[in-house]
Amino acid sequence: MTQPDFPRDALILGGNRIPFARSGGPYAGISNQDLLTAALEGLVARYGLQGEKLGEIAGGAVLKLAGDLNLTRESALGTPLDPRTPAIDMSKACATSLETVIHVSNRIQLGQIDSGIACGVDSASDSPIEVTPRLRRILHRAFAAKTAMQRLKALGAIRPADLAPVPPRNGEPRTGLSMGEHQALTTAQWGVSRQEQDELALASHRNLAAAYDAGFFDDLVTGYRGLSRDQNLRPDSTLEKLGSLKPVFGVKSPQVAEPSMTAGNSTPLSDGASSVLMGSAEWAAEHGLTPLARVVDARSAAVDYVHGDEGLLMAPAYAVPELLDANGLALQDLDFYEIHEAFASTVLTTLKAWESEEFCRERLGRGGALGAIDRDKLNVAGSSLAAGHPFAATGGRLVATLSKLLHERAKETGRVQRGLISVCAAAGQGTVVLLESVTD
Amino acid sequence: MSAVQTAEQIKDLADVPSFPAVYAAALDPRSSRRKGEPTLPAIAYRVRSVRIDAERARDFDHLMGGPATDLVHPGVLHVLAFPVSLALMARRDFPFPLLGLVHLRNQVLQHRPVRVGELVDVECRVRDLRPHRKGRTFEAVSTILAQDGEIIATDVSTYLAKASGPSAGRDGAGPSSADARAERREFEAPTPTGRWSLPADAGRRYAAVSGDVNPIHMSALSAKVFGFPKAIAHGMYTASRAFTESRVDLSRPLRWDVSFDAPVTLPGTVLVAFADDAGTGTVTCTGWRAGRGDKGPRRCFEVEVTTLDR
Repeated sequence: MTQPDFPRDALILGGNRIPFARSGGPYAGISNQDLLTAALEGLVARYGLQGEKLGEIAGGAVLKLAGDLNLTRESALGTPLDPRTPAIDMSKACATSLETVIHVSNRIQLGQIDSGIACGVDSASDSPIEVTPRLRRILHRAFAAKTAMQRLKALGAIRPADLAPVPPRNGEPRTGLSMGEHQALTTAQWGVSRQEQDELALASHRNLAAAYDAGFFDDLVTGYRGLSRDQNLRPDSTLEKLGSLKPVFGVKSPQVAEPSMTAGNSTPLSDGASSVLMGSAEWAAEHGLTPLARVVDARSAAVDYVHGDEGLLMAPAYAVPELLDANGLALQDLDFYEIHEAFASTVLTTLKAWESEEFCRERLGRGGALGAIDRDKLNVAGSSLAAGHPFAATGGRLVATLSKLLHERAKETGRVQRGLISVCAAAGQGTVVLLESVTD
Repeated sequence: MSAVQTAEQIKDLADVPSFPAVYAAALDPRSSRRKGEPTLPAIAYRVRSVRIDAERARDFDHLMGGPATDLVHPGVLHVLAFPVSLALMARRDFPFPLLGLVHLRNQVLQHRPVRVGELVDVECRVRDLRPHRKGRTFEAVSTILAQDGEIIATDVSTYLAKASGPSAGRDGAGPSSADARAERREFEAPTPTGRWSLPADAGRRYAAVSGDVNPIHMSALSAKVFGFPKAIAHGMYTASRAFTESRVDLSRPLRWDVSFDAPVTLPGTVLVAFADDAGTGTVTCTGWRAGRGDKGPRRCFEVEVTTLDR
C-alpha cells in the first residue's frame, strides 16, 4: 500500500456566524449553547451538511459555565449534523477560535480527518457567576461531613461576606490591571494619539458598513433573534462623535499623561458565535464545495507582562515576524492584514513596533525594522471595533472574512493572494495565521 | 550586668505561643520599663519539633495568589517563628513596648527548601540595638533548624522603637528628618506592572493564615485604639505576595529582602512594579501609593528576591 501524501492542504470552505450583539442586548437570556447552535445550524443549512458525519468540530468559549464542559458537542447535537460527529472544547482567551481553526487544519493536514468545523462563542450577557472560594470550600467540607454535627459546624463558618456572588474577573489575575489599563500603558509607551485611534475606529465602522451594503456578508452571516447586522455597527459615526467620548482607560494612571482610550475606540462586551467549515481538497470536491483559501502556517507567542518586560497585548508583534520568516515572506508581501481590534491602539502599537528600528533590533533581534504596511489592506471589511468582540467567536469571524476576501481578489486579479490574521489574547498571548487564496 | 550578655540563656517553650496571649501579655500594665540606657535581654526562646502544617501553608499560598506548593513559601517560616520572637519581646524585661514597634526591614536567607509536614526547631533572639533618628532599632533574629541541627533559614526583622519625649533621637546617627523628607519627595514611581486592590478585611485574612491578630491590622476601629486612623496591612503580607509573584524556584537557596516605608492603609490600592535583573538573578518589586493632587507618590515597600547558587 502506498503512503498517502501528507501533510496535505487544509482548506477553508466557508463560514457562518450570527450577527454580534452588545452585551445585554437582543441575546440577553440566551446561552452560549443557544448561540453556538444557531451559528452551526446556519453553517449546516448553507453548505447542505444535514446528516453529514464530519471528522471533528472544535469549539470553545472564554466565559464558560462549569456545566458546559462539552459545550461544542452539546451544541452540535442540537443541529441536523450526524450525531456521531465528535467534538472537542478548546480555550485560549480571545484567540480561542483561531486556535480551533489551527487544530482542525492540523488534523486535516495530517490526514487524521477529512472535514471539520472550527467555531467559538461567547456571551457576556450570560457569563458565569460563581460563589466565593471560601463558600465553595465550606460547602465541600459540609458535603463531606459524616455527621450532622460536623455538617453544622462546617456551615457555621459561613459569614455574610462569603455569600456575595462572584462575577467573572475583570482583569489579569496576576496584575490586577484590566486589559484596557494594561493597553493604556502600552499606548502611552508608544505615543499613540487619540486622533489615530479614532480614525482607526471610524475606518472599522465604515468598512464593515460598506461590506454589509455590498452584500459581502450575505453568505457569511445568518440573522438571529431579530438581528441581521452587528448591533454595534455605527455606519453614520464621525470623527467628531468619536472625539466627543471621554477616555475610560488609563485615566487613573499617572504614567498615562493623556488618556485616549474611549468606549468608541475600544471593543464593547459582546455576545455572538462564529463557525468555519474546513476540509481536504478531496472532501470538498466530493461535496461540491468551492475552496476559498488554505491554511499555510500558524505561530503563537507570549510575553512577560507580569514583570513588565512587554505590554500585555504585544505578543502578536513577536509571533508575526516568526511566521513571515518561516514562510520566506516580508511584511509587505501580504495582500490583506486582519489585525484584531481589541482596542484601536492594539493595532496601532503593533504596527508601530514593526515600524520601529529599535524594537525590531532589540526585541526581535533583527537587522532592522519590518517596516510599514499599506493601510488600505488593513481590516478592509471592518473588524472588532465595529462588529463587536464575543471573545471566542472573533477568530472564526476573521478566518471566514479573510478567506472570502482572498478568494474574491484572486479571482479578480488571477494572482495568488496572501493574508495575515493576528489576534492578541489575555495573559500576554498571541496567535497568528497565514492564509493563501485558492481558486479553481 | 553587661558582662552576662555573653552567656546566653535558652528558654524552651512547650509550643509556639498563641498571638492573643502574647499581645495580652504585652498590654499587661505590670510590664514596666526600666529607666536609663535600654539593653536587650540576652536570652533565646526555642520551640523544638514544630510541624509545618500543610493546611496552613496551603491557605497561605492561596491568600498570596499562588498555587499550593509542597515546598513552603518562606513567609510560612516567618509566621511560624513570629509568635516565638513576639513572646520574647513581650517579656517584662524587654526595654520597649511591643505594640509601638515599627517593622522597618526583613531579611530572610534560606539555605535549603522546606517541605510541608517537615519538623523544624525555631530559635529566636534579639540583637544589635542601635540609635536611630526616631529612636532605636534592633533586630529580632529567628533561626529555623532541621532536626539534625542544620540551619535551614535565618529570618532577621529590624524594628524601630520610637523614642518619646523631647530627647527623642538626639543621639541618633541616622539621617536627619529633613533628609528623610527629601528622600520621600525624590521617590519617582516607575511604570506599574500591576495594582493590588486590598479590601478592608485584608488584615483579617492575613491574620487568619498567619495568626498575627495585632489590632492595628484587624479593623479601623481596633487600629484607632492604638492611634492609627485606619487599619494597616501586615507588612509581611505585601512582602509575601510580592515573593509569590516573583516566580522563584523554591527548590534553590534564596534571599528575600524587604524594606518598608509608608504604611499600606486598608482598604487601599497599591501600585506595584516588578523588574527582573537577569545578571544577578534578582527580582525586585516596588510597591507605592499613587500621588493625589499635590501629594507625590509614596513608596510603601521594596522587595528583593534573589536565587542563590547552591
